Amino acid sequence: MRLHKGLLSVLLASFLVVSGCGSNGQGTPDTSGGQGGNGGEQTLVVVNWKDYGSDDPEMIKAFEESCSCKVVHEYMASEEELLTRLKTGGVGKLDVILPNASILPVAIQEGLLEPIDVDKLENYQYINKTFKNIPENEKDGQVYAVPWVWGSTSIAYNSNVIKDEIDSINVLWDEKYKGQIAFRDDFNDAVMIAAIAANQDPNNPSDMEAVKQKLLEQKPLNRTYWKTGDEFSKLFANNQISIGVAWSGNTAAMKQAGQPIKYVIPKEGAIGWVDNWAIVKDSPHKDLAMKFIDFMIGKDFQTKWVNKGGPAPVNTQVVDNLDPAFVQEMGLDEEAISKLFFISYHTEDEKKAWNELWHEVKAQ
Amino acid sequence: MNERQGNLPFLLNCSRVGDVVKNRIFLMSPAIFIMLAFGVVPLFIMLYYSFLSDGPSPTFTLQNYANFFQKAFYLKLTWKTIQMSLIVTLISIVIAYPAAYIIAKVIQRGQNLLLLFIIIPFWTSQLVRAYSWMNLLQDGGILEMFLRKLHLIGDGSLGILFTQTAVIISLVHIFFPYMVLTIYMSLDKIQPSLLEASKSLGATPFETFRRIVLPLSKPGIVTGSILVFVPCLGVFAEPRILGGPNGSVIGTVIEDQFFEINGWSFGAAIAFILLVMVFLSIWITSRLIKRGD
Repeated sequence: MRLHKGLLSVLLASFLVVSGCGSNGQGTPDTSGGQGGNGGEQTLVVVNWKDYGSDDPEMIKAFEESCSCKVVHEYMASEEELLTRLKTGGVGKLDVILPNASILPVAIQEGLLEPIDVDKLENYQYINKTFKNIPENEKDGQVYAVPWVWGSTSIAYNSNVIKDEIDSINVLWDEKYKGQIAFRDDFNDAVMIAAIAANQDPNNPSDMEAVKQKLLEQKPLNRTYWKTGDEFSKLFANNQISIGVAWSGNTAAMKQAGQPIKYVIPKEGAIGWVDNWAIVKDSPHKDLAMKFIDFMIGKDFQTKWVNKGGPAPVNTQVVDNLDPAFVQEMGLDEEAISKLFFISYHTEDEKKAWNELWHEVKAQ
Repeated sequence: MNERQGNLPFLLNCSRVGDVVKNRIFLMSPAIFIMLAFGVVPLFIMLYYSFLSDGPSPTFTLQNYANFFQKAFYLKLTWKTIQMSLIVTLISIVIAYPAAYIIAKVIQRGQNLLLLFIIIPFWTSQLVRAYSWMNLLQDGGILEMFLRKLHLIGDGSLGILFTQTAVIISLVHIFFPYMVLTIYMSLDKIQPSLLEASKSLGATPFETFRRIVLPLSKPGIVTGSILVFVPCLGVFAEPRILGGPNGSVIGTVIEDQFFEINGWSFGAAIAFILLVMVFLSIWITSRLIKRGD
């Protein structure tokens, strides 16, 4: 009996140790700690997507060494979830987060973010001004979000199969490619692309009926719709499709893998997105957070990541040093960027209306 | 049999489980607790959600239900989903019955091994299986090459992937093991002496099957049909991956409410409407079957 009790307490203790370790690794870290621990070393808590650049131990090492601190990551599952986390106890505990335009206006409005003095960021001057000028990043002249990486959703095609010069979004409506097209199964992309083709503002389509008609017209030309990047890659690699809506990042990876894929930003435009760093209100390590963001947008990090297959860098110094052919092919050049419509903030009601419209199209 | 049907859920009729419930209800209490905690309570939470408005301060509303019936395409998708599930159920019966019959009545040894083979696909994720079907069915894929080698198709492409057929094939593959298991269980219980008696009284094998085996295995078919039909109504991954531009089912709409937009209340309302339809159809089926008896 005594033995059992002993065993039980050992098990219990080891369980506590294990769960304790877990929370230091990925759960909710002890943010006040660290300072007392390793000789005054600070711990910065960053919320990001998993495997998304900043949690690459090799790339973050330089930063941790230069400021003798530790960067701890928590992972987000969606933008909505990030917002919920800020509202329910994140303020005062988390330091740096990665929001995009879909939640930034709400987070700023509700006072969940610190204003950022961009003059104190050495590398801010090198950020392409298109990304700096995105309205969701600021309020009343105060900047709350610093652009980090970006990408586009446009058209890619198999250059072995399609020999024509593709420069218009209307190829997705071209009978010639019937049965070879894969449009994206996503309400936001669907509505925005149809609006671009219908000559409307894709972030604010005035005539939703026209958008719906466009999508209905396009539907029978598809081989299928795709949802995840993996699905698109498989369809393309297995020659089930030869043209479709595609992600810039995914296309770059497929190109590197040797696929005969070409990416174009059509003359009418395409969809753009930006991921931004922001500092959480009452962050315990504001100065360190600033240094972290500066490092993230700096030439070193951004060069390393894009060479490892990461998304497009915002730092113009980095882009200037990339292979010009790659820059042009992947639509990273100024001309391509100027054609992008960056996904703006939408209310829940707008999202629901777009989603319903998309389901209605798919159900026809 | 009929007497019991009156006061117990008909599902329990299908085996002797009903007697156990009556006699040893206390043995069932952990199971009942699990049913309540993970089945009934969440159902009521879902029902509660379906009457709330979205947003920071939810209020009581019937809007979610009204929304469903205002747009014709929601009902259309629901009807399409029900049809698809019925087809999958029927095909499952046709495939599963002979398999179960062979395992239960024809072969003398190795029943467990064969049952194991039927259950093995359960151990692979549904998503992986959907992608596997994509590779098998796609134009220029394995099935097409195979059929061409056998000269069963010409030079044209197979054209199965991204149609309703592909979805149905994958769903039958996923769900028919349930049907085999339930039919097997009811066939296994049939006493060999009954079949011998029928034979000695001069019945042909077909007559024995029609008048003895089939009626006695009906509970297994019914239970199996429910186990196939109901989960079929809620699928969303297979129709999306294999169904092509016309692959949408009501499950995809529900999925989006939870994962794409903040539409939990509407998602709950659709799920609840579907649930009511399921219960109605099960109830009607069981009435029809009872009348058949």
